[in-house]
Amino acid sequence: MSSIEPGTTLRHVLPNGMVALIRRNPGAPTVSVRGEIRVGAAMEPVEQGGLAVFTGAALIRGAGERSFQQIVAETEGRGCSVSAGGGVQASGFAGKALSEDLPLILEVLADMLIRPTFPAVEVERLRSQFLSGLRESEQDTGYRASIAAQAMLYPASHPFSQPSGGTLDSVAAITRDDLARFHRRYHPALTSIAVVGDIDPLAVVAELERRFAGWQITDAPEAVYIPDAPPLTGIQRRDIPMPGKVQADLIWGVHGLRRAAPDYYAAMVANMILGQIGMGGRLGEQVREEQGMAYYCYSDIEADLGAGPWMAAAGVSPENVEPAIEAILEEIDLFRQDGPTDEELDDAHAYLTGSLVIGLETSDGIAGSLLGIERHGLGSDYIARYPAIIAAIDHEQVIAAAQKYLSTEVYVLAVAGPV
Amino acid sequence: MSDSVIAHTLPNGMLVLLKEAHGAPVATSWIWYRVGSRNEASGRTGISHWVEHMLFKGTPQIPAGHLDRLVARNGGVFNGFTWIDYTAYYETLPADRIALGLQIESDRMVNALFAEEEVESERTVIISELEGYANEPETWLDEAVKDAAFTRHPYRHPVIGYRADLEAMTRADLYDHYQTFYMPNNAVLVLVGDFNADAMLRQAEAAFADLPAGPPLPQAPTAEPTPQAERRVIVRRPGPAAYVQIGYLAPDCRSPDFAPLAILDSALSGAKSLTFMGGGTQTNRSARLYPALVESGLAASAWSGVTPSRDPYLFELGATASEGVDPAAVEAALIAEVTKIQQDGIAESELARTRKQMRAQVAYSGESVTNQAMQLGMWEALDSYRRVDTLLDELASVSAEDVRRVAQTYLTSHRRTVGYFVPDESA
Repeated sequence: MSSIEPGTTLRHVLPNGMVALIRRNPGAPTVSVRGEIRVGAAMEPVEQGGLAVFTGAALIRGAGERSFQQIVAETEGRGCSVSAGGGVQASGFAGKALSEDLPLILEVLADMLIRPTFPAVEVERLRSQFLSGLRESEQDTGYRASIAAQAMLYPASHPFSQPSGGTLDSVAAITRDDLARFHRRYHPALTSIAVVGDIDPLAVVAELERRFAGWQITDAPEAVYIPDAPPLTGIQRRDIPMPGKVQADLIWGVHGLRRAAPDYYAAMVANMILGQIGMGGRLGEQVREEQGMAYYCYSDIEADLGAGPWMAAAGVSPENVEPAIEAILEEIDLFRQDGPTDEELDDAHAYLTGSLVIGLETSDGIAGSLLGIERHGLGSDYIARYPAIIAAIDHEQVIAAAQKYLSTEVYVLAVAGPV
Repeated sequence: MSDSVIAHTLPNGMLVLLKEAHGAPVATSWIWYRVGSRNEASGRTGISHWVEHMLFKGTPQIPAGHLDRLVARNGGVFNGFTWIDYTAYYETLPADRIALGLQIESDRMVNALFAEEEVESERTVIISELEGYANEPETWLDEAVKDAAFTRHPYRHPVIGYRADLEAMTRADLYDHYQTFYMPNNAVLVLVGDFNADAMLRQAEAAFADLPAGPPLPQAPTAEPTPQAERRVIVRRPGPAAYVQIGYLAPDCRSPDFAPLAILDSALSGAKSLTFMGGGTQTNRSARLYPALVESGLAASAWSGVTPSRDPYLFELGATASEGVDPAAVEAALIAEVTKIQQDGIAESELARTRKQMRAQVAYSGESVTNQAMQLGMWEALDSYRRVDTLLDELASVSAEDVRRVAQTYLTSHRRTVGYFVPDESA
């Protein structure tokens, strides 16, 4: 056994700059690997929409000496999995295995990240699946409302204005060379990997060194950068008629904030109370529980490297679209004016700190937390500090965040549903 | 896993299953009722699911809107769901707060109010839930296939219910259903987590032992007659693609043929975790359907599945046709894969792979206490919690010949319902 105590995370930086986060979770029969490269769709040209997502998904389609069929036969045959995918602000990869199969998934993941082969036939198969997926998305009310809201919230030049999966036209035009070129942006200095399970951390370090130390990129790393968006003006609304649908999805949205913003925790607590806690916070309480208008109504805040949207969403009958919008706006207005009650604030504090142990129950959950801590530079003592950070968020801070970001006078509204 | 389970039946007939798990300071409390769409009469479809919703709408001790905040305040998560054979509720909490789960469940087993105004408010919430499903083309196809595949058994109707029934049902109907099925003698309590099992059993007894047993439960539903001819349905509506779904009437989960059918399913599309929450890994791309349907270009995706059920349900296959591909070609390719197994059986290597995949899936789903309790509860609601382990033994003893035999016995044309969803903008 290594000298690393259970419950402590070993953070190890490889000579090429890749960061490894390793934690022993005693007794777990399985091991989870989660990782990310801070390269994503935010870096792709508008006309090549979907490139980062396509590239991420293509990594498994042939890597090192193995074909796609060999990768899935070998990993699935042992009940393991390896996967990768591109996102807006980062590209992710993951693996899951019984403990004895960890070396296999690290070997395959290293090949996928460092030596993908992008075989032409596989690129075409993947393209066909993406196009089918996009055709299905185009007839999905939630997807249509969401991309319409994003297009109104951000100008066309902003990375958040476009769907990360691209469009039928842009995906049709992406070439194998485009994928290989985008892959060259992957850089060990932009990569983190977390490994959690009943493992010997020092042995895992040695294994990672063996698999990843040869990953050398001469170009300087270029990380995702998300610019601020120009402020919204007035109310913008878009209605998208969709034949054959029986329910409308509606999305209200404003600009949120970056994860690094000083008022992040206040905004997160505000969002929790407005549209998360219990069955969708105040929004769920009003729109679902009180008025019976929707099966779901909630709010969400996307605070990451860039300031994503702060949005509220509901799925309602066509005749309830306007009443639901009115109810959502009323709740937002009320929350901006009065902020949370003492009881709501206490509940949010208790939930956020109390549920920490549930989020950290599984190896997957721990690995995901470690990656987030690394991505945002929160420090190895973050989980220990977290309850105090949350406890310090008071009524004034929550109301200030609500007033700064939420609005019933300047916002976007997208409604996609029955004609 | 079931070796370390303590099973104790209270005098009122309620079974309590307890399992200590000390990996993390969390615990979960589940209660399962043997009621679902299987127990619904014509005209009352969706009633089990609606009752489930009403159990979040208040008791004298925990008024409407308080339950969710009570659990959240204690750092917990909760949910409930209704399926064809069972309805389940859970709370997962920091281990030192698990008594709250017992308090909530013992209270709402008998004290749910079903206030008239809450019933009315929930009626529209549930219709909204139904409308959300109805936005998906797959829902229309799935409902048409089930409706054709079953002629007598209530599995023919959707768990959410028919809209006309949801519009017509009354508070009295709902309360009657609740009083009939929400009884200790029709319930299983499952507790898994970081606690001392003896002490936890005493807490469970304190919370539930005084609840009175109910009268005997209504009779099981009418058995579905063995189909004598293939049935076919076509749904034409606006949609993004053509979908194919095929269901074969298959035996219930207690049948000795269930394990061979599970292996057959794995050979077609990989071993799955047999519970809802999954947490397992993807295993379909090295199985038979993926190369035959997806890599060949016929379909964007292809799947198969066998559902553990109380009464005979369906062994299913399905696919989303690629752009421009006739659903008939997709159907033919799916059935060709079945025919191959009927003729040649499966390879020993496929059997070995499936066993290893199943072991892995069980290990993954054992990672969280919530998932462990779900597996134990689901199997107890259907058969016995010991099935969590014995099914693995059954799977280990399945032979390639068994797989061929069940494919020949059950995946026949006369037991089959074939459905197409054909996109049609004018419909």
